[in-house]
Amino acid sequence: MGIVIFDGIAYGMLLFLIAVGLSVTMGLMSFVNLAHGAFAMIGGYAAVTAMNQFGLGFFPALVASFVAAALVGGVLEFTLYRRLYRAHPLDQVLLSIGLVFVSVAVFTYFFGPTIQAFSPPESLTGSMSLMGLEVGRYRLFLIVCGFAILAGLLLVLNRTRYGAMVRAAVDNQRVARGTGIHVQRLFFLTFAFGCGLAGLGGALSLGILGLEPSFALKYLIFFLIVVCVGGAGTIIGPFVAALLVGIVDVAGKYYLPELGAFLIYVFMVITLLVRPNGLIPRKGL
Amino acid sequence: MSELLAFDQVTAGYGDAVVLDRMSFSLEAGKSLAILGRNGVGKTTLLETLMGHTRVMSGSIRWNGQDITRMPSHRRARSGLGWVPQEREVFPSLTVEENLTVVATPGPWNLKRVYELFPRLQERRSNYGNQLSGGEQQMLAIGRALMTNPKLLLLDEPMEGLAPIIVEELALVVKLLCESEGLASVVVEQHPVLTLSMTHHAIVLERGQVVHAGHSQALAEDTHLLHGLLGVGQRPQPSRPSMDAPAGYTLLPQGA
Ligand SMILES: Nc1ncnc2c1ncn2[C@@H]1O[C@H](COP(=O)(O)OP(=O)(O)OP(=O)(O)O)[C@@H](O)[C@H]1O
Ligand SMILES: [Mg+2]
Repeated sequence: MGIVIFDGIAYGMLLFLIAVGLSVTMGLMSFVNLAHGAFAMIGGYAAVTAMNQFGLGFFPALVASFVAAALVGGVLEFTLYRRLYRAHPLDQVLLSIGLVFVSVAVFTYFFGPTIQAFSPPESLTGSMSLMGLEVGRYRLFLIVCGFAILAGLLLVLNRTRYGAMVRAAVDNQRVARGTGIHVQRLFFLTFAFGCGLAGLGGALSLGILGLEPSFALKYLIFFLIVVCVGGAGTIIGPFVAALLVGIVDVAGKYYLPELGAFLIYVFMVITLLVRPNGLIPRKGL
Repeated sequence: MSELLAFDQVTAGYGDAVVLDRMSFSLEAGKSLAILGRNGVGKTTLLETLMGHTRVMSGSIRWNGQDITRMPSHRRARSGLGWVPQEREVFPSLTVEENLTVVATPGPWNLKRVYELFPRLQERRSNYGNQLSGGEQQMLAIGRALMTNPKLLLLDEPMEGLAPIIVEELALVVKLLCESEGLASVVVEQHPVLTLSMTHHAIVLERGQVVHAGHSQALAEDTHLLHGLLGVGQRPQPSRPSMDAPAGYTLLPQGA
């Protein structure tokens, strides 16, 4: 029981890392970005390349994954995304799902369709005992990362002027612009940063999920569930939702193997019936 | 007598709908302007157009010696247009203090001075924007505009829905800002008496056009003209919304 919850939390942390950027960009720009998982995939492949081709260690490779995904995100925001902020959601869906297919094709072409080999560093392999539980070191590392990034994000969002600008723009874009906030630049930075986090999440997922070119599609539904259930535009919302989804999914597959894969959909439907704006809607909603 | 702001034949609206129809007016530096008119004539749209939130189909807007017709909103705000939107629209997920600091730019107005002007805001500094009364929200919206260190304050129905005592207080503040700080205002209002007493010049709108322009005092004294333009005058203004047909609406069936 304990270990199921622990593994569920670790899995949830991964979902959180990847989906939090989606939550902020969906809340901020109301952009339905189905390609978010592709940025996670970019991070994963960047880390694999950094380690296998350039012989970098795991931790420098994590930095590389963030930078690569943020860079690609920034370029795509500048060239494609910003043209569709005011467009119909269907156009946004078409653009971003198109990007997903492009990314699947590109990574298949360069890396092949198979799962990438990955071995975590010595310090993160094996297990250790924690409060009477034998837990995997890698999963423990994920949980620590998740909490650290949650704390960092909350600090930036709630205690800095940049964070206040983001909240202001999420609240009311028109008034934010009309009082001198450079919303377009805010979008650019936030989008690139969210993509960077997704990339980091993608790299961290190497030790758990297995990276192949269909990653961006395969896990898309999980990222969307996390954002919908959590409430777009917040950080705590997707955090709580990601942990719940992680635990429900792992526990479902463990205890009810034949039903397990459906359990999170049941969970999503029930939560959205009870709280249509998500578990933790933003203020003023 | 230098020109601070001028609309030159501005046609603007939302999407394909034209709301402002070849509108022209101008404003001198240091003078306040009242914009009067009944419900739905385009007063708010005028300010939204000035802030760059509508679609301008033709004409030009000059502000402070610059053509700003195509300038992005945030740059207009930073060039000295201090906008106070009609519904106040304070940021609900920011505290009172964050609402002020998030838009701050260097200049004579800072947190300390805004708190001096509205001590009530200091008392409520850690409350969130959605935990304020209507009057407090209005003070915050004005304080927020001041934090951008504007050259011109744009007030959209600042007195709407406020208790009479707060209305008087705010009117005093606006007058004071103009007299002692040289910070002029554009005041949009439906209720003319108070507004005319706060401003130097006035324009009256009707169906997106300027139908009267002149000195505020002269208009205030000419109750006959005022009544003709706004349907008010000697009799006190009823508090319910006007039952007049909206602009552009005709009671005759099409083609009759
Ligand atoms: N966002 C919008 N989209 C489309 N039409 C709008 C929009 N806002 C206002 N209008 C229309 O533009 C016209 C002018 O509205 P506006 O809000 O400028 O009038 P107003 O003079 O400020 O009225 P009020 O005294 O009620 O505030 C109205 O016919 C209104 O229906
Ligand atoms: Mg209005």
